[in-house]
Amino acid sequence: MLAWSLDEPDRLGEVIPVAGPITIGRGGALADDSHPRTTLHRARPGSSVAGPPIASARIARRQLLVEPTTEGVHVRSVGASRMRVGGIETTDTTARSGDLIEIHNAAVFLVVWRALATTASPTADFGFGGPDRFGIVGESEAAWKLREDIEFAASTDRHVLLLGESGVGKELAARAIHGRSARHRQSLVARNAATLPEALIDAELFGNVKSYPNPGMPERPGLVGEADGSTLFLDEIGDLPERCQVHLLRVLDEGGEYQRLGEAKSRRSTFRLVAATNRAPELLKHDFLARFTHRIALPGLTERRDDVALVLAEILRRTAKSNPVIAARFFERRADQVAEPRLAPDLVVRLLRHPFTHHVRELERIVWLAIGTAEADYIGITPAVDAELAASAESEVDATALDRDAVAKALADHGRSPTRAAKALGLRNRFVLLRLLKKHGLSVAEEGD
Amino acid sequence: MSAPSILRETLELTLARDDSFPTGFYARLSDAHPELRPMFHRNSPGPMNKLFAQKLLAIVDNLDDPQWLSRELGGLVSNHVGYGVTDEMYPWVGEALIATLAEACGDAWTTDAERAWTAAYAALVAAMLAR
Repeated sequence: MLAWSLDEPDRLGEVIPVAGPITIGRGGALADDSHPRTTLHRARPGSSVAGPPIASARIARRQLLVEPTTEGVHVRSVGASRMRVGGIETTDTTARSGDLIEIHNAAVFLVVWRALATTASPTADFGFGGPDRFGIVGESEAAWKLREDIEFAASTDRHVLLLGESGVGKELAARAIHGRSARHRQSLVARNAATLPEALIDAELFGNVKSYPNPGMPERPGLVGEADGSTLFLDEIGDLPERCQVHLLRVLDEGGEYQRLGEAKSRRSTFRLVAATNRAPELLKHDFLARFTHRIALPGLTERRDDVALVLAEILRRTAKSNPVIAARFFERRADQVAEPRLAPDLVVRLLRHPFTHHVRELERIVWLAIGTAEADYIGITPAVDAELAASAESEVDATALDRDAVAKALADHGRSPTRAAKALGLRNRFVLLRLLKKHGLSVAEEGD
Repeated sequence: MSAPSILRETLELTLARDDSFPTGFYARLSDAHPELRPMFHRNSPGPMNKLFAQKLLAIVDNLDDPQWLSRELGGLVSNHVGYGVTDEMYPWVGEALIATLAEACGDAWTTDAERAWTAAYAALVAAMLAR
């Protein structure tokens, strides 16, 4: 998959299928090509459309000879431009899924394992590599699976629980579910459950009559009343005390019955709840969790590395659009229009290898750090960016060395608190621990819960 | 080695060795002919460099395709007339280009390469001026 290109930045995310031995190079086929020539394709579930021949000036007419092996792809560099695979200069090697193939000053390819044809065929009503109409960016299998999950959940009108680490885009997914649903004409009602003052949670959720529970309080419909006929998005639902989770049970059932505080009569709200949490779902009260018919696990950037370059490009596009000073300094100009960013391939390579824990939000932060600390007219690795990326990478190396028993013991020894167990194990944060739990098939809750 | 192969190989070698090509070419050209500088303003240097390298390579790649060349050169001529390029400027470009290629290729630059580029550039300019 093309992750960076000097000359063809509009082709990011396109893939070169390797079904057999192929030649990769600039332009169309040559009479004496030893293997058939393959160009970049725009691959989406159910379709793979070959684009024009590669036009990058710094990719030789015959640059790479590639063939699939049981381990990955065997790559031979036969062009004038130097090749690095996994950061090491070479002319002949085997690259595995996740490896980066760099053609010096021309292109960076990420080796990805994908089925050559898939059967699902979701609606594709947006340009390749760009954001869909809800702002979700990605052409990876994980991104398309997410779109399918969203479309299915939107069509059913059942309550949905979104699971994923901070920064994966849970609010974006909630807005997409609402936007694709039959309720889309009504406004989405969104609140962060962690910001609800504990003493007023019930009043915030269910509303209250005038001057109840406190004198002078205005009458309020509550979030449930406000969202009648629409969707209520409650973020960080895991922060809602168990007592309040119980209070929501009745209204989440089909009748949608609830009472405003201080009011004897029952009301009904036909709202649909889309809740999100970055905690393990087992931490929610069991019968509350059972009300969520659909659970959608949002993939982090580490699970869709093939989208990192596209998400990065979109962040930069948005930044240039909203900030003319940045656009003037870091972006090329074509026919007096803002064009592609001047982006160092080394930064893209580092980001593609980075063990993200806060995903898109973290990527955005690194981009701003790179822009804010840049000393030249391009976006690249500054000492500050280097330090930031190195600090995160260290904790990931430690994490992979931890075995199942060590993780299980740390969790048991620390009252099954992921935050404290992560700290005891020397991990950077609880998200790294939660990933380890998933990897080892462990759960935050006690066995048998 | 055939002339088209020499052209392609020396140009690919230049691009592989000189990360900023054709920045040096533009610098050489505008140092020798400062009056050309105002012509380069529509694009920032990055796109201008990319476009130049891509066009030059495309021409070299398609030397055996007269229809492609005719179509492409027609567009180039009208663009350059629009930029204010006059006939006497074409040789200036050729001199700067060949000097830049020779410098980047170093030991790999042979008399055959010099001859092939000189002949190819002269043929290209003749075709453009004849339109």
